[in-house]
Amino acid sequence: MADATPSTHRQVAWVIDLNRCIGCQTCSVACKVLWTQGEGEDPMWWCTVNTKPGRGTPRDWEQMGGGYRNGELALGRLPTAEEFGEAWEFNHAEVYESGKGQDAFLKPIGAPPTWGMNWDEDIGAGTFPNAHFFYLPRLCNHCSRPACLEACPNDAIYKREEDGLVLRDEDRCKGAQTCARACPYKKIYFNPARKVSQHCIGCFPRLEKGVAPACVRQCPGRAVFFGFLDDAKATVHRLVREWEVALPLHAEWNTEPNVFYIPPLSTPWIREDGSVDESRRRLPTGYLESLFGPRVRAAVGTLESEMSKRRQGRPSELMKTLIAYDWKEMLGPFTRDPAELTWS
Amino acid sequence: MEEAAREVVRSYEKARPRASGAASEERYRERWRWDKVVWGTHCVDCYPGNCPMRVYVRDGKVVREEQAGNFPRIEVGVPDMNPLGCQKGACWGQHLDAPDRVLYPLRRVGERGEGRWERVSWREAMDAIADSMLDAIEESGPESIVQLMGPEANPWNIVGLARLITRVGGLNTDVNAEINDFSPGIYLTFGKFNLCSSLDDAFHSELILIFGANPVYTVIASYHYQVEARYNGGETVIFAPDCSPSTMLVDRHLPVRPGTDAAWALAMCKVIIDEGLVNEPFVKEQTDLPFLVRTDTHRYLRACDLEAGGSEEQFYVYDERRGCVAEAARSTLATGDVDPALRGEYEVTLADGSRVTVTPVFELVREHLEQYAPERAAEICGVHPDEIRKLARKVAAKRTHVWAGGTSLKYYHGDLMVRSIILLLGLTGNWGKKGTGIGCWSIGMFDGMMLLGQKQEKGPAETRRFLAGRDAVIAAIRAEDPTRTEEMCRIEMTRRMAGLAGMIPPAFLWYRHAGYREIWNRADWSDPTMTRPFDDYMREAIDKGWWQDVAWPPEDMPPRVIFQAGGNTLRRTRGGQNVLLRKLWPNARTVVTIDWRMSTTALQSDFVLPAANHYESPRFHIPSPHMLTLIYSDRATEPAGESKSEWEMTLLLAKALERRASERGIGEYQSRRGSAHSLKDLYRQTTLGGELVSEEDVCEEMLQDTVLAGTIPEGTDLAAMREQGYLRFIDWGISPFAINQASDLEPDETHAHSRWHTEKQLPYPTLTRRAQFYIDHEWFLEAGEALPTHKENPKMGGDHPFVMTSGHNRWSVHSMNTTNPLLLRTHRGRPHAVIHTGDAANKGIRDGDEVRVFNDMGEFFVPAKVTPNARPGQVIVYNGWEPYMFRGWRGPMDIEPGLVKHLHLAGGYGHLHYWVLQWQPTPVDRAVRIDIERANGAV
Repeated sequence: MADATPSTHRQVAWVIDLNRCIGCQTCSVACKVLWTQGEGEDPMWWCTVNTKPGRGTPRDWEQMGGGYRNGELALGRLPTAEEFGEAWEFNHAEVYESGKGQDAFLKPIGAPPTWGMNWDEDIGAGTFPNAHFFYLPRLCNHCSRPACLEACPNDAIYKREEDGLVLRDEDRCKGAQTCARACPYKKIYFNPARKVSQHCIGCFPRLEKGVAPACVRQCPGRAVFFGFLDDAKATVHRLVREWEVALPLHAEWNTEPNVFYIPPLSTPWIREDGSVDESRRRLPTGYLESLFGPRVRAAVGTLESEMSKRRQGRPSELMKTLIAYDWKEMLGPFTRDPAELTWS
Repeated sequence: MEEAAREVVRSYEKARPRASGAASEERYRERWRWDKVVWGTHCVDCYPGNCPMRVYVRDGKVVREEQAGNFPRIEVGVPDMNPLGCQKGACWGQHLDAPDRVLYPLRRVGERGEGRWERVSWREAMDAIADSMLDAIEESGPESIVQLMGPEANPWNIVGLARLITRVGGLNTDVNAEINDFSPGIYLTFGKFNLCSSLDDAFHSELILIFGANPVYTVIASYHYQVEARYNGGETVIFAPDCSPSTMLVDRHLPVRPGTDAAWALAMCKVIIDEGLVNEPFVKEQTDLPFLVRTDTHRYLRACDLEAGGSEEQFYVYDERRGCVAEAARSTLATGDVDPALRGEYEVTLADGSRVTVTPVFELVREHLEQYAPERAAEICGVHPDEIRKLARKVAAKRTHVWAGGTSLKYYHGDLMVRSIILLLGLTGNWGKKGTGIGCWSIGMFDGMMLLGQKQEKGPAETRRFLAGRDAVIAAIRAEDPTRTEEMCRIEMTRRMAGLAGMIPPAFLWYRHAGYREIWNRADWSDPTMTRPFDDYMREAIDKGWWQDVAWPPEDMPPRVIFQAGGNTLRRTRGGQNVLLRKLWPNARTVVTIDWRMSTTALQSDFVLPAANHYESPRFHIPSPHMLTLIYSDRATEPAGESKSEWEMTLLLAKALERRASERGIGEYQSRRGSAHSLKDLYRQTTLGGELVSEEDVCEEMLQDTVLAGTIPEGTDLAAMREQGYLRFIDWGISPFAINQASDLEPDETHAHSRWHTEKQLPYPTLTRRAQFYIDHEWFLEAGEALPTHKENPKMGGDHPFVMTSGHNRWSVHSMNTTNPLLLRTHRGRPHAVIHTGDAANKGIRDGDEVRVFNDMGEFFVPAKVTPNARPGQVIVYNGWEPYMFRGWRGPMDIEPGLVKHLHLAGGYGHLHYWVLQWQPTPVDRAVRIDIERANGAV
């Protein structure tokens, strides 16, 4: 299938530090406000943050299939609107001005919702006091081997040479949703009003003006590094290729994602008598491996040993990078303040 | 634009034209365009909040906002604060036309809360409100006009409505009690509650201890410093009952039984003393621990004990160098050539010739801590003794910062927890240097806002006159006692002004008029060391004049007109509707809510006045030492519908009062407190002679006065603020709250509180002029709380098996964003109760089931969120949900009794007196007793 991979000169990448992500959804909301408030877009959240372990959005997306299995494109199942979660409307007017007084209370109109973009927020797994979870932000991986692109029957999806973003020509898209079946990350939404699919556009209009994507620039946790993966000097390159502390999610699906994650260093284990077992973390390593593959052990080891250097007062280039003393260092070359822009 | 960005833009410009997708791409490029960008912020109390944003406007409509992200780096080697913000701020513009927006003045036509309204003109609304105020003045007195201050009070509310109410003789309640954000523990120890270091100072910490907090939810904008401190070699340790989101990615989570934090802290103190890890020079200089206490009376040895007519405020240490008792200096912390003893018992001869034994407070502490051996403390709090020992040694060795969260303010014995933890910091020298200390919240520095209320005329000459008058008052206060520091003089001036300003601690109003008296007298829900009913303590406090001038309004003067602006009292008040709607509301002829959204309080009001949203009128946020920045928010679009800024409303109300008073022939009148008032010139007074009419006029005046007060650079004006959006303060200015930080404000350093105390030996504004751990007030002695101790949380709400805790939620600032559809979709769209998996199984409750939560106060219904992260026996209902999001509009606030601790009425003792935002009783809500059951199919 390698021949099917489009050649690309440049590739942007996201590196998300899961030790910094606090699940606030600022990325999700920033993206929502910027891109998906048009007709038919209300249920769309191109960027979402979910609690892991957890079923996520769309519900149980990891079991839906897609990507490449044994070298072949494997179409998976199409998530339903219910599995994504609908854009609930609420009965504000009934509460405020219907004269029903306290007989009416604010809630979603119609049948009670059964799922949403963040339904299992903070539920996690394990047993108290060693229950555990972390937050996993997800957006389109702008894969180097995009299954959606290959699957599209209308040639509507393309990968740009200048930045490697995987975009859709919405004039060609016929809403077949084969892309959504092929995408193993289930990050493609269908717009029933316009009869097209839509997904994260990597904020390309911003990139073209030197401005970082909204999910990156607006992250208050300073959790996202952005830049060109093909630039050996770029922070994202060094974190992914040199330090190897940032790993793709479900690499086994073979789409070669360009969103990478620095694994979470979970809190130490508490023994039954209440003492702390420093050698064991709450979050099972096996679980991290199921998401980020076997290399996650080495990544965690590197993070731990570099952190311990700082504890001993020794320098650590990796920690210096992760601290990002100057926030703009996280944005790669996309440091421009959008408020500077004027439109003719 | 930086070179790298320019290069990227150039490379994009050179990209080949696309065969496919060009039109599709162009449509997205088009979506991102705007035609105007202004500075904006959200003047909200999420604390420190008010992140600087850019607001993008297209075709006259706010389309989006984005964090400015251009705060400069302050200190070399410390990460900058960018890009302050959160999801609520990132969709603030969604509020402008949201379904909860109020667009027109509304007058109730049905019963209160029924939801039947008629749209009225501003003139009709203001005339009717003015008439009800005049009725109240004539029939009862102006003190029956009360504004229940809210946490979202912006400058327009403070310089507008609140001052108007003061001018007519009415009362404004102290916001710090309204929102339960006063820290009695910090106050008791330091004589001020409002210490806070800048956000970035946490990066200097080698050890961050978090308790009573869930910062992952509550401080989204600045949480990153905790991670960065950790990456820099620091450790983060959190004490939390549950596996909260803030416990997941830290170096240690120590699960603690709810309400027992004093136990681990005191056990750590014991370890530090036993293992000889005490920072003795610090303790001898900064704290009262060397001060001598009489073993017969358990009171400090005072000059009045030793000589007839001696001072009650002169204390003593035992000088080991000379082997005799020595006066503890009141003008400095420096011990000079005295070497104060921390140990031993000594005999002194009293004025009457009798001899008594005295001993340093440190000895009392040491003996007191005998009961807190780590093993014993572990039985109380559930933290393993080895962890207590290990952590104690770390605190002694590392720069330690304590993050005392809002929960520490909202436990019945939260003061004891905080005092215990400050003792730990004191023994180890952990305040007054970077990366250390404990924090709460503060205001200050934007002095123009304060000055505006004092001025009668516009312009700098009047300001200079006022500043000179103020200097004279300060000088006179210092002359009364030359050992007073500038900080003490300012506190004293503020204390004397409290009664005049019509600012009241609301405890007395609640007790007399809002239905709390019955609850506060529930001995079974209160501390068992009370020897008398609550009523007796209240009576004694009043009779002894401890609350003179501020214990208003009296019994025969129930509030007739209630204003609510920038708040939602029926949401936030513990005891909620159960108390207020039954007692306070029925006596109020008129309830007015000013808001841009429909709150529960608005729904229970007679008038709802639509306020301009933060993007619709120019304003400044109320700055704090956490950011040390004045932040401006411009008018992005005109106010929606018929909404108006609170300033404009105030002027309309002033005119209406003037007109209706004249028509009704109401001339000059006296308030019950004896002040004279006239409404004849109210509009001219409010506008300083008709000069300050627009918001821009007032903004400019406040800025110029702030320049004169010296906290922002000369030459700053509104045009400059419109351009640059924010600026860093250059000095503390004239406010007591700013100077309470007690450290030099440097342009290129993080701010760590209390450095004047540790570096310049300036004394603390307490009775003993030291960080005071021993409170020998008779009530504290009776209660066994002279020293920090652990006490069990009373069974508030009745003897029920579960405890209900709360805390700020993630999805809304208080209730402000909680009914916004976009944010509702980021969770389950309903309130929820977090319940442990095992508890839920025992009760037959499944995730999503509706649960009945009940105790002796009442009940409410809420969907369950079942998780192993919850602590068995603990149910968490985060606060901020509108009561009208619950069935029958009954929520957790309605079954939280809202008890206050009787000791917080104590006075007549050094620093135990009221001044604005400070010493006063505040209702508590944490770990209320409840039970739960599955609601039988009622969904």
